[in-house]
Amino acid sequence: MKSMLGKRAVSSFVSLLVLIVLVFFLSRLTGDPAALYLPIDASEAMRENFREINGLNDPVLVQFGHYLSDLVRLDFGDSLRKARPAIDVVLEAFVWTLWLALITMVLVTVAAIVVGALAAFNVGRGFDRVASVFSLIGASAPDFWVAIVGIVLFSVTLGWLPTSGTGTIWHWILPVAVLFIRPFGLILQIVRGSMINALGSAYVKTARAKGVKNRPIIFVHTLRNAMLPVITVIGDQAAALLNGAVVVETIFGFPGVGKLMIDSILQRDFNVILAAIMVTALAIFVMNIVIDIAYALLDPRIRT
Amino acid sequence: MKYSTVLAGALLATTVMSQAFAQEAGNVTVVLGEEPDLVEPCMATRSNIGRIVLQNISETLTELDVRGDEGLKPRLAVSWEMTDASTWRFHLREGVKFSDGSDFDAQDVKHSFDRAQSDQISCEISRYYEGIDITPTVIDPHTIDFTTDPAQPILPLLLSLLTIVPSETPIEFTREPVGTGPYILSDWQPGRQITLERRDDYWGDAPEVQTAKYVFRSDPAVAAAMVSTGEADIAPTISAMDATTDMDVAYPNSETTYLRIDSSVAPLDDKRVREALNIGIDRDAFIGTILAEGTQVATAINVPTTLGWNPDVKAFPYDPERARELLDEAKADGVPVDREILLVGRTGNFPGATETFEAIQSMLNDAGFNIKLQMVEVAEHEQYYSKPYVDGRGPILVGAQHDNSRGDPVFSMFFKYDSEGRQSGIADQKVDDLIAQATAATGEEREALWSELFAYLHDDVIADVLLFHMVGHARVGSRVAFTPTIATNSQLQLSEIGFR
Repeated sequence: MKSMLGKRAVSSFVSLLVLIVLVFFLSRLTGDPAALYLPIDASEAMRENFREINGLNDPVLVQFGHYLSDLVRLDFGDSLRKARPAIDVVLEAFVWTLWLALITMVLVTVAAIVVGALAAFNVGRGFDRVASVFSLIGASAPDFWVAIVGIVLFSVTLGWLPTSGTGTIWHWILPVAVLFIRPFGLILQIVRGSMINALGSAYVKTARAKGVKNRPIIFVHTLRNAMLPVITVIGDQAAALLNGAVVVETIFGFPGVGKLMIDSILQRDFNVILAAIMVTALAIFVMNIVIDIAYALLDPRIRT
Repeated sequence: MKYSTVLAGALLATTVMSQAFAQEAGNVTVVLGEEPDLVEPCMATRSNIGRIVLQNISETLTELDVRGDEGLKPRLAVSWEMTDASTWRFHLREGVKFSDGSDFDAQDVKHSFDRAQSDQISCEISRYYEGIDITPTVIDPHTIDFTTDPAQPILPLLLSLLTIVPSETPIEFTREPVGTGPYILSDWQPGRQITLERRDDYWGDAPEVQTAKYVFRSDPAVAAAMVSTGEADIAPTISAMDATTDMDVAYPNSETTYLRIDSSVAPLDDKRVREALNIGIDRDAFIGTILAEGTQVATAINVPTTLGWNPDVKAFPYDPERARELLDEAKADGVPVDREILLVGRTGNFPGATETFEAIQSMLNDAGFNIKLQMVEVAEHEQYYSKPYVDGRGPILVGAQHDNSRGDPVFSMFFKYDSEGRQSGIADQKVDDLIAQATAATGEEREALWSELFAYLHDDVIADVLLFHMVGHARVGSRVAFTPTIATNSQLQLSEIGFR
């Protein structure tokens, strides 16, 4: 297990390095930040001064050297637009994203496993049909549409929830609900399929023949074996959320890292782009390790 | 039984929660489309910053009256006069204190100007003083002279953009702005909200609003919904599509939409072709359909409230037949009128931008042109719109918007029409001379020169295809009394908000 984690860490570190190099140079290919930072009427002299102040006149390789040497000292540089450390800007936003992802994934995982397991146990019956239809609708509905309909229905018409923003626990309900729907549908389908397989296996038949009751069969024997593919999908979905839920953040005015990344790309705020990618990449790396550990705990074959 | 319990619970929840989201007396919430990156006084000419900072936190020496027709009004200066051809003297208001408790004096004005001009930071205000040599000289604590080269007849107007900070303010961008205005920045939670609190020691009349909270929603439908539910009081920019309730007001937003013609490339170098472009578009057909009711057909790059705007200039009539004749005449003289002309529009430039440019393309093609439309993002648009233009380019029309609510064409003319202007599509000696003369002139002479220039550009040069003066829509909740103006795009004075 240790050697597996060690290998993982090394390969993740290499990917991170490649990512830094790629993003550093690719973001600079998008053009000159001065063209977007300054008003359209600004003179060439003003633009030149802006580039000089912000070190954009140096050759790209020199800029890269500066960037790397700062990075070693964990200095991500200042945001061009916000005139304060890029890492502060990113961490502020990332905390919101992390909470959003965590709450959503905990709810999704619990709900999808319970509903999926019950559906698998009742294959073809009413509960299974209803669960499948709703999960398919959920997995295919566009989230911006669900978000707007949610606001119109629950905020404007019924007045139950605030339209958007942050501040109270009520403010979390709509964004989490919108984010919940798609991964719930997907994971539920995986749990159901995987459980149906497991329920058809020889050890379940043996357990039944021994007179074991339904509940222990689902939750003790089958679920553990059916979990491996489910964990992979949970990991994928959580990674997507950690990268930022751009649509939900935009519509609900939620200060997460997804919208920050898009905005900083559009504004060519290079230091924020790089800091955001580093932070999310690190988070995903940590999550992958957690998933590896979970695999190992569930399946003894992986531990060796 | 069960159903009625659920219903009762729901009703209870409704009442409890609507109270929870309601606002306290004296407080307003304003929902803006984008969060400012900085709350820096010297960047207040940028609209997302100006709406929060300008005249709320930081004040200026002079102020342009946009509600009445008083023109330039005193603010931190009580009066001003020219002492000689190149010197303006400003007499400053006494007894004014900054929010940090220090006294306001001429030294602060000098420092504010020097800081805005500093090459250590990129202050946006400084672009309005480019090309002019301005030297501020403190005469006494409440008198300051500005000596300029060349002479600046509109220096008092230019100073309506200079936000005043205390002389202790460091040169680098500040996150804790100190000003003389009626409000202080009391809280800033990046990404979430900015709060301004009223000061007790403001020199002027105390505004009604005690606390103003700014929140940011990039989706205009959500911004509009927030006012409907009472979570916010004012959404200054919602889309025309959402502006359907009696809370919604339309206002001229000072944007002018036009097609910039690059008249150095054939066939656009031919005046008949440029006229055909102008009469080939049915401008009236857009109003009340793709564009909001209240949109005006433009005859100038500046809105009618601008000095020297010429009422005698008449909009081109829609006459596709005549457009074809003009193209045929040009063709007979060897002008390559069949050449493909690229029309560049900017995605999301204004609500309905894509539809507008598609309709223009179709009208012009019906009139005999060969127009290809390309909708691009802001950064790519800038490459077409601003010099240096690409060598070896084909004929290009750039659909763009220009905003000048500052009362004088000087903020537009050089950039848009001078041979050296960054977005100019023409090179005409008479235009250059008129701009130079008008820029240096004062009073009625200045007005007459601008008028002459507006007519010359529209009728004789046919410099561009002027389209519309646009309207914006705001949603104002029932608790507050607020009327948006042509300046709402660039500032939102909390002192203009009352309660009902």
